[in-house]
Amino acid sequence: MATTSELPVGQWDTLHENGPFPLQRQFITRHESKATMPGRVARYNNAADEIRRLIKECHDNNEGFRAYGSRWSMSKVLHQKDNMHQNNLMYLDLEVDPGDMHQDSPYLAENVFFFECGNTIKLISQRLAEYGKSLKTSGASNGQTIAGCISTGVHGAGLNIGAVQDYVVGLNIITGPQPGDIVYLERHTRPALNDAFAHQINARVIRNDTLFNAALVSLGSFGFIHGVVLEAEDLFLLNRYVKRVDKNVALSLSKTLDFKNSTFSIAKEVDPDGTPAIPWHYKVFVNPYVNDPDYVIEVMYKKPYTGAYPDPFTKIEKSIYKDLIYLLIKFSEKFPKSIPWFIKRLQSSILPEITKDEEEITATLYETFWDAPYKGPAFACSVGVDIADSEKALNALVTLTKSNPIPGIFAMRYVKKSDATLAFTQFDTTCVIEIDGIQWEKSRKMLSLEEYGRLMIQTLQTANIPFTVHWGKNMDWAFPNLVQDMYGSKAQTWKECRSWLLSQEMAQLFSNEFLATVGLDDFISVPPHFIQSLNIHGNPAT
Amino acid sequence: MHKTTSLKVVTLAITACIVASCYPTRFVSTHGAPMPAETVQGDDWYRDKMYGEYDTIVKTSAINDGMTIKVPRKFCESGKLFSVEYKNTFGGNLLYLFSFGTRRKVKIKYVCMLPDL
Repeated sequence: MATTSELPVGQWDTLHENGPFPLQRQFITRHESKATMPGRVARYNNAADEIRRLIKECHDNNEGFRAYGSRWSMSKVLHQKDNMHQNNLMYLDLEVDPGDMHQDSPYLAENVFFFECGNTIKLISQRLAEYGKSLKTSGASNGQTIAGCISTGVHGAGLNIGAVQDYVVGLNIITGPQPGDIVYLERHTRPALNDAFAHQINARVIRNDTLFNAALVSLGSFGFIHGVVLEAEDLFLLNRYVKRVDKNVALSLSKTLDFKNSTFSIAKEVDPDGTPAIPWHYKVFVNPYVNDPDYVIEVMYKKPYTGAYPDPFTKIEKSIYKDLIYLLIKFSEKFPKSIPWFIKRLQSSILPEITKDEEEITATLYETFWDAPYKGPAFACSVGVDIADSEKALNALVTLTKSNPIPGIFAMRYVKKSDATLAFTQFDTTCVIEIDGIQWEKSRKMLSLEEYGRLMIQTLQTANIPFTVHWGKNMDWAFPNLVQDMYGSKAQTWKECRSWLLSQEMAQLFSNEFLATVGLDDFISVPPHFIQSLNIHGNPAT
Repeated sequence: MHKTTSLKVVTLAITACIVASCYPTRFVSTHGAPMPAETVQGDDWYRDKMYGEYDTIVKTSAINDGMTIKVPRKFCESGKLFSVEYKNTFGGNLLYLFSFGTRRKVKIKYVCMLPDL
């Protein structure tokens, strides 16, 4: 039988030390051993039973229950004060055979994989590589679990790729303590697996685009995401370059992503007609405290996979001596005006190393976005805007930051629109403007992180720039009407879907302080036919 | 004046020696995944990893060609190593020095891989 350790921890913290937050009990469930229960499906179902048992126990105690993976979120989005389940020891994967595919599926069976919630991007990438496959994109590192990624909308910077949730094609969720509380969700317009597959994991099938899109970025509150079905693609390589370019060119590209007609090009990365190739990835780094005529940019070009490329690991990692940073930040708390000077001095250590055209780093997605180990208490504030507004938004935020210096630098990344109802990547192409850095203490001369976040929101509102905020990052989440202003009627749809999927008691159990703070915890009475399982033509499934 | 300067130089040299001798060297696998910690602790590379420590004194002699340490089962369910960190300590250096190379203090910190499921 799957077993669960219960730790009376008292408090809980994120990987990046954004807490601590109060917590009564932490659960960790482990599978029955392979030696005594060889069948993977049997062990998976056994773990589902164990999670149902925990849900019942918490419900009987009138307590809450939330799952989390690797603690990478910096906001309180996943935190719950009563019971939290660490699911990173639940990392089975189930075989998907061609016979498991739905008859109307648009996906190739060879690209469809089923992973349990606690599989990290790293584990999944390694598993896919065994089949000559790769994830389509990841965040800038690999430690997040798949369930954690999709719950908060983790994204990369692949221009024509969405965020992590955008290649998820099926969700297995445990919504309550009863045997019938296991569901398997898909889009009805793009089914992936057949009913027989869902039945072997004891799940009730619901194919409905509206419900599926709402459950994709669920903020951990649609139940316990037990399994995720994703679409992979053939393994590929990325050629990575880091360049200094004229800031006007970088910002023009930011607004249009029109690389074909840009003066920016890399000698080796041109199309047969001689025009610049369109990169797979584009990222702009901005130190708000200098007025350099150039910005540092990172571009990557996608190439077919071949085994013959140099070992990239010797070149990929770049770090900074943490204690020196701490010392400087402590100094900065007393003398905030010194921050620009420090950031300028440290720029060469913080930013990636500039490469020459002939010195590109070639690596797979897994190798390129490899481990980003813990390097001290960190913060990150991240907003999404339409790319057309990217320059205006960046200028407004840089002006804000120059007036209120904090120890961080900006970066801009670009992500295709997501179908997920509450994905923060909701513009046709979202420019994600993020400021990352080291935590500091509020002082008489220096704003708190929350106050800085509030000013970010006010600055964008004053500039009349529509924006969203990354769910897993720091912000003044209690800012009035924030979610309503960002998502409008989509927030209502999301709440209705959640209220349809969960009973009122379970909606309460899977809720948390964050959800209440942003006004997404309401339970709305919806009729039973609000969501129906549909066939590909949009008719009720028989 | 001369005495004070000499003292400063000696203090600085000892401090430099202590700092340098405590610097860890870590060998990390580029594949596999580390066993996660049950609760995050500390503020270093090991914060999110379950790790074990092995602290011993190795005796060397002319007929001994080294030492093999089997990975303890504690903190290492898979028996497969993800990382090994070797740390030279100042005390270890002194022991080596004063035992004329016959005793060496070894401090190893290891992280194991997640077991296959």
